[in-house]
Amino acid sequence: MSRESRPPARPDAGRDEDLKPKSGRRPQVIVCAGGGGVGKTTTSAAIALALAWQGKRTLVITVDPARRLADAMETPIGSEPKRVPLPATVTGELWALMPDPSVAMRTFIEHLFKDEPEAKARLLKNRIFLVMEEAVAGVHELVSVMLVVRAVSEIALDCVVVDTAPSRYALDLVSYPGRLASLLEGRAVAWFGSLAQRASGEDDGGGGGGMLAWGRRRVEGALGRALGARVITDVADLFGELARVRVRFAHLARQAEDLVLGEATKFVLVAAPSGAAGADLHYLARKLEKLERRATAVVLNRADVAAPAWVAALSGHVAATPALIAAIRQLEDERAARTRAADAMAAELRQKLPTLRQLRLPTIAAEHPAAIVNALATELSSQLAAFGV
Amino acid sequence: MSTGHPPLAQVVMVTGKGGVGKTTVAVGLAAAAAETKGRAVVVEFGDGESGRRLLHRGLEGKIEHVVIAPQDAVARCAVPLFGSAILAKAVLGNFAFKRFLRTTPAIRELAMLECVRLVAAEHPGVRVVVDMPATGHGIAWLRVASQLREFTASGPLFDLTDRVCRELLAPQFSSIVVVTLPERLVLHETLELCQAMQKHVGLRPSRLVVNKFPVALPAQALDDARRLSAEATLPEIEPLLRALDARHSALSEADAALKDVLSGAHLAPVVLPVAQVDPTPTDVVRWLRAEGAA
Repeated sequence: MSRESRPPARPDAGRDEDLKPKSGRRPQVIVCAGGGGVGKTTTSAAIALALAWQGKRTLVITVDPARRLADAMETPIGSEPKRVPLPATVTGELWALMPDPSVAMRTFIEHLFKDEPEAKARLLKNRIFLVMEEAVAGVHELVSVMLVVRAVSEIALDCVVVDTAPSRYALDLVSYPGRLASLLEGRAVAWFGSLAQRASGEDDGGGGGGMLAWGRRRVEGALGRALGARVITDVADLFGELARVRVRFAHLARQAEDLVLGEATKFVLVAAPSGAAGADLHYLARKLEKLERRATAVVLNRADVAAPAWVAALSGHVAATPALIAAIRQLEDERAARTRAADAMAAELRQKLPTLRQLRLPTIAAEHPAAIVNALATELSSQLAAFGV
Repeated sequence: MSTGHPPLAQVVMVTGKGGVGKTTVAVGLAAAAAETKGRAVVVEFGDGESGRRLLHRGLEGKIEHVVIAPQDAVARCAVPLFGSAILAKAVLGNFAFKRFLRTTPAIRELAMLECVRLVAAEHPGVRVVVDMPATGHGIAWLRVASQLREFTASGPLFDLTDRVCRELLAPQFSSIVVVTLPERLVLHETLELCQAMQKHVGLRPSRLVVNKFPVALPAQALDDARRLSAEATLPEIEPLLRALDARHSALSEADAALKDVLSGAHLAPVVLPVAQVDPTPTDVVRWLRAEGAA
């Protein structure tokens, strides 16, 4: 298809109405971040459950593709928030949202191009788009946050707990919308959109002279030679299509950014006593600093403070068999190693991040994920003030 | 114990989701190679913090730690791509291109793979273990090169992607080690990843490392605790019974998950135990050797 045959883009097409919070005010947002394997998903679910116990209408969203929250909450994956059944005595509500990463990009494109079906059809055939589709790491995060924006407008929520991806890149969730908006809001989209003509020398970029124009032409020429005419044409076409929905796209990105990076958002770091988790923690704290935000608290999981009372009671008891004594000793060795590591981690955190509130949670000996969430929520319910909520 | 693990190529890419212990396994594999051959390289992306934490324990002389920052990787690849350092700088400094790069990780990832290829070429005959970043988008990382190669057809970008495909992402040059956990959901995802990798990248994983396998407690203890609990004379037995029960279920569930999920897989899993605190590279080398997987 040739460029000329298309209808002209309506730059303001598809500017969305602002999605207003149903409750009339912005919910309290808590973003949980931490390295992988530290119990972040379980902790997020436990914080949300503890808030529901306090009477808050709470939504917990996970972007962790491992779907462990789905398992813990016994809630299916989907783009709609699902209410988690709680005992009738609980005055609050718990909702869970677990978007499917494999359909994130398509969901997003459907929404973005809802008024531009032809542009959408062209985009879905664009080869650069097909290469990038799976590799644009931020899209699932962006879609997830957009789904939260929608949920906030549909359910009168008091609190939203966001469980981020299990890695150091977790905070991309909060920074990606802004980065995307800065690509879309400026002249970059138009520049890429008309790159094909200019790189091939069909157009000298408006006939402007001077150093600036010369430098730009040189960049265009270099890109044209390095990437080849086919890639340049596809990149230009891709951005040509994006230009049609640029305003809606940027608006969505800003709304998403506003929700997760708003001034009232609380950041909670989650860690477990291991060197990797500690390194991730400091990395994430530095990342937050760059975003001009600060974590309010750190949750240290599996950070038992001392030996449980039953160890002393059982170890010397006449009824204890040799197998039981050996088992107690093994469990105690493991527990002591975790406590030492947690103590060291807590001391380092006190020194390096003195304003960070520390919450130590014990190892929960339970089989079912839901039982662990319940036990942690019980531990947390008296300490919610540490998160600033 | 088990043999039958295929030999590893010069480059070993260790991949898996966040928190499974990729760095631990990567450093362990490098330490094992260094023990045998005297030298090895660990490639890490980002700030190099994870590798440094493990490598300072007496391994500095034997294992070279190469840290590749994403922006440096792009800059390094841009020079041959655009023909000169000045042009490369101009393109990377361009207002629109800069924003494009910040939102499109695929470009950086392609550049990082090219850097791995260069590191391997600079160290002929030396094992290069790559600690791949934890990403949510699985094999997209490895697919970008072949997809871009397919439709560039010629020119400098084609040359770059072609080199990455032929001289790095091929079984004679690179082995894939996938690290996972003994949990059903995670194992299923790992198997999907392995199948997709074979189908789309043409690389069949050489090792499937199931890390953090629960450690057994004395077998008789659970029965003893149950008996004491039934007698109801010792209330303190209840929390111990819960701990023993949880460990027993975790173990049988991990065993069953391995059996159920991996029964059809072509790879025998390499099982490593859970450690309460970070295992040392020496521990990991010992575990890998016991499994015949070093």
